[in-house]
Amino acid sequence: MGLFDFAEVGFNVDNGFLEGLTRGFKNGVLCKEDYRHLTQCDSLEDLKLHLQSTTYGNFLANEPSPLTVAVIDDRLREKLVVEFQFLRNHAYKELATFLDFIKYSYMIDNIILLITGTLRQRQLSELLPKCHPLGIFDQMETVTIANSTADLYNAILVDSPLAPFFKDCISEEDLDEVNIEVIRNTLYKAYLEAFYDWCEGCGGATAEVMCEILGFEADRRSFIITINSFGTELSKEDRAKLYPRRGKLYPDGLTELARADDYESVKRVAEHYTEYRKLFDGTGVGIGEKTLEDKFFEHEVTMNVNSFMQQFQYGVFYSFVKLREQECRNVIWISECIAQRHRSKIDSYIPIF
Amino acid sequence: MGSLFRSEQMCLAQLYLQSEAAFACVSKLGELGLVSFTDLNPNVNAFQRKFVNDVRRCDEMERKLRFLERELKKDQIGVYDNGDNPPAPAPREMIELEAKFEKLENDMKEINTNQEALKKNFLELTEMKQILMKAQHFFEEMDRFDTTEDEALIDPNTPQTVAAAGKLGFVAGVILRSKLPSFERVLWRACRGNVFLRHAEIEMALEDPVTGDVVNKSVFIIFFQGDQLRNRVQKICEGLHATLYPCPDTSNERREIAIGVMTRIEDLQAVLNQTEDHRHLVLTQVALNIRVWFIKVRKIKAIYHTLNLFNVNIAEKCLIAQCWCPTNDLGKIQDALRYGTEVSGSSVASILQQVTTEEQPPTYNRTNMFTESFQGIIDAFGVSTYQEVNPAPFTIITFPFLFAVMFGDFGHGLLMLVFGLVLVIREKFYLAQKSADSEIWDMIFGGRYMILFMGFFSMYTGFLYNECFSRSFNVFGSSWNVSAMNFDAVTLGNASALDLDPVTPGVYRGYPDNYINGSGYPYPYGMDPIWQSAENKITFQNSYKMKSSIVLGFAQMLFGLTLALYNHIYFKDRLSIICEWIPQMIFIWCIVGYLCVIILFKWITWKDPASAPSLLIGLINMFMFTAPSKADGTFLYTGQSTVQIFVVLMIVFCLPWMLLAKPAVIYYRRRQKANRSQRNYNLAGGEMADDVPIIEQDQLDVESNSIQQTEPDPDEKDFSEIMILQIIHTIEFSLNCISHTASYLRLWALSLAHSELSEVLWTMVMHIGLSMAPPAGPIVTYAVFWFFAVLTVGILLVMEGLSAFLHALRLHWVEFQSKFYKGQGYAFLPFSFESIIQGRVDE
Repeated sequence: MGLFDFAEVGFNVDNGFLEGLTRGFKNGVLCKEDYRHLTQCDSLEDLKLHLQSTTYGNFLANEPSPLTVAVIDDRLREKLVVEFQFLRNHAYKELATFLDFIKYSYMIDNIILLITGTLRQRQLSELLPKCHPLGIFDQMETVTIANSTADLYNAILVDSPLAPFFKDCISEEDLDEVNIEVIRNTLYKAYLEAFYDWCEGCGGATAEVMCEILGFEADRRSFIITINSFGTELSKEDRAKLYPRRGKLYPDGLTELARADDYESVKRVAEHYTEYRKLFDGTGVGIGEKTLEDKFFEHEVTMNVNSFMQQFQYGVFYSFVKLREQECRNVIWISECIAQRHRSKIDSYIPIF
Repeated sequence: MGSLFRSEQMCLAQLYLQSEAAFACVSKLGELGLVSFTDLNPNVNAFQRKFVNDVRRCDEMERKLRFLERELKKDQIGVYDNGDNPPAPAPREMIELEAKFEKLENDMKEINTNQEALKKNFLELTEMKQILMKAQHFFEEMDRFDTTEDEALIDPNTPQTVAAAGKLGFVAGVILRSKLPSFERVLWRACRGNVFLRHAEIEMALEDPVTGDVVNKSVFIIFFQGDQLRNRVQKICEGLHATLYPCPDTSNERREIAIGVMTRIEDLQAVLNQTEDHRHLVLTQVALNIRVWFIKVRKIKAIYHTLNLFNVNIAEKCLIAQCWCPTNDLGKIQDALRYGTEVSGSSVASILQQVTTEEQPPTYNRTNMFTESFQGIIDAFGVSTYQEVNPAPFTIITFPFLFAVMFGDFGHGLLMLVFGLVLVIREKFYLAQKSADSEIWDMIFGGRYMILFMGFFSMYTGFLYNECFSRSFNVFGSSWNVSAMNFDAVTLGNASALDLDPVTPGVYRGYPDNYINGSGYPYPYGMDPIWQSAENKITFQNSYKMKSSIVLGFAQMLFGLTLALYNHIYFKDRLSIICEWIPQMIFIWCIVGYLCVIILFKWITWKDPASAPSLLIGLINMFMFTAPSKADGTFLYTGQSTVQIFVVLMIVFCLPWMLLAKPAVIYYRRRQKANRSQRNYNLAGGEMADDVPIIEQDQLDVESNSIQQTEPDPDEKDFSEIMILQIIHTIEFSLNCISHTASYLRLWALSLAHSELSEVLWTMVMHIGLSMAPPAGPIVTYAVFWFFAVLTVGILLVMEGLSAFLHALRLHWVEFQSKFYKGQGYAFLPFSFESIIQGRVDE
């Protein structure tokens, strides 16, 4: 940063240990061979036995049988959280900010989850276990008292790190389901833009790697928002406000997306971009075909794997968290298929290495 | 030869075990710890193996035991350890164990839930009590405040105040102290400042009923107006995990409830104590047995893991295992199998059958407590190839010796010896303490015999160098005599240093003439103490230590090369002896050996200090074919010129010998072999010449197949590869003869550094104290001594010791072992309960 851009020179002084550690963690990510074994399992007990021979080790050893998918889910997540917290606790200066940025996305999810839950008259004690532990912060649980976004901001979130993202969606309107989706997406938009700008400000390899990943994330959101908005009461102007203004689609693609009326027109927008055309080609919902969502995930995984090709940059931390998350989703998917004896779709996980 | 000289002879054996006897047999073998099983189903997944369910049952049992262990730890009850080593229970007893653990776990869980409920109740009551007490306090304070203010401003009986007070609602509760600030803030913001919060700390620490952690909490009381605010406040309380308690308005009611709460707390305390006692009783029972249970379960698990490696033969109802075992112990293994069969009551005996194999067997060196650490040094470099000469037994002496050459100081050696002795003598005590869980300590303790030896040898070399904390002993009396110089009083008084001329009669008793006459003698053993105070001490010692380093190095390399001969003879490799070993031997003798010979020659025969020859120039001249002459100080003995030319020619001659002889012989042999088979082929082909071509083709295939079968040569390398390897070896060896010799100079360098450092420490630290006059002298000396002692141990013993250790290690790994040691084997890891229970082997 600054006048002389030699960020790499001093990188290892502050972050060398953590980067090394993260690369070590990454080596423990399950590979194709492991998944092949996992999909051959007949029961969750078999799955546990096989996971024992991977870096997960004895993480299920203290669980009484019979195992359930929920327990596996909890333990998998716990492992990620422990690793992440370790990184966060040892992080210094910029890296700490970077890791906090990663946490913010979970915070947004948690807040939205709690508000939606309260609107549907669920008990707080029922909602809490569903919150992602990485996104828990002090005042989080009090969001249930808020009736409007202004309330939410003034009473609770003004203290939390999410406050700056919130400034665009303050209104006196009462909270309802549509409203909440809008809030979620506005928050996410602000968050993504802030994160993107911060990474760009870092310069060097971090900017190179992270801007690509976050740009893709932004584009994906724009696509998904557009596709999901068909047939709802969301107006085109409101929809356009939700698009994160970063990434490859910005600005031309977004203008076109804002005009889109159906899936085909979205696809036409994607045709202009080589990466996205590939993703939209040959998607479907039948067996053997991949959904658009899966294609997006696959692309994300490739980008995250590639991020490990560069050294002296913060991207590895982000990518590691995302890869671990994908891995958790994979293992859970496989476990669910095994538990529900629904083997025909067991192969639709997304391999990482 | 001792068993350490070569690794144990191993053999591959197959075991045929009856299904019902297999468990008992493997159990016996595990106690024995002499066989290492190979996996016969490497392609089968872990969860598809035969005994996977039994392994899982063991896992489950282990989990229960771990649960009980955690409970023990929570209550800080120590596990009873009487050193028992129970045998693995029979499979049928497993059900019994399972039932027992199941019951214990359930009991424990029940007790825990009860206790948790009780504790929760207790916590609530305590918090209630605290609230009532604090609330009383708040209200009293407020009343006082009210009255004073009321008196000053308005009439206390005006209806407004009464009405206002009536409408004010309040809630009281308890919250974690750490959350109080954010609680206060959220409250203020969410209610827009329309509430009034009072809080007070609860002085005593409370116990969290679920985790058992100690937590600090605060009591708070919130006043507000209206129902809407009440809802809001309650939601915030819920959100921040504050517990609310009902608190009556009037002080009389509060007092009544407080009394009720007090009595209930007392009752609950009694019940809690009883539960605690019951829990303790159950846990002490568990503590008595848990260690034995753990061992049993681990043994069963290990057995089933091993059985999973076996091949299951369903038709004959037996399991087939394959294992490596030491040939010498086959008898013991047979006994174990017989015993196992008997125990299980099987009618058919288990069979052990030796199998011949091309595979390289594992390397197994039987060590004891003493040899273990030395073998460890060798294995750290590389496990020896099967049955090649193991350097470990020689290392026992050479390692401490080379260390001592660099660490030569009588005093430092003594300290090290004492440290080593303490470790060795109290060995049993330290071993009984088991895991101190410190890697550094384990390493030091593991090397205790090495430390002992290093200390002892350092004392010896220290005696030779005549240094003890850099001071000298005058044991035999110096052979220099200053008075013979006849200095006058003036010279003695003024000079800070004086020249002693050994040629002046009587000054050096060892001077050649007197020496021969027997009237005088040099200092009989080690360094003359007078050198300690000489100005040119370093110059003198450098030359001496440098030369002895080279002589020592040559001796060790020569020894290594001799061991190579043992290897060649043992593996019947005549080709290598003639084409490699002999030229190598000649080469090293000519290039380094000759140097050593002239060093010794000069030491022994040279008497005139004025005309001592220069060996360095002499050596350079030797390679330049310059005739030695007295003029340039290179003349040593008559005929030197001829000898030296011969030596150089030998060196030059050995090079092509090493480089070409072996590949040439191999090439020649191969061609002969090829000729022979060619002839066979021609013969066969000739016979077939008249036959139909198709048959000939068939015949050809068969023929070539059969040749391959009769002479299988899996190790046959490409000729170019052999040539390249030979070139590398030759270059390596010839360069190494020089570079390794130079490398041994580290013996001198480190020894010099050590003696200089310790001298500096003495003159800069200890000397200051000793040279002061009383009364300050003794006090300063005392103070300075501790400084000296700490520096001696920290720098000279630990740091210098580590550095000397490292260099000794390098000299062994690189300079010594490169002459004969291949180290391409793999270690023998027997299936043994002992190592499994100690946690040395994972699964």
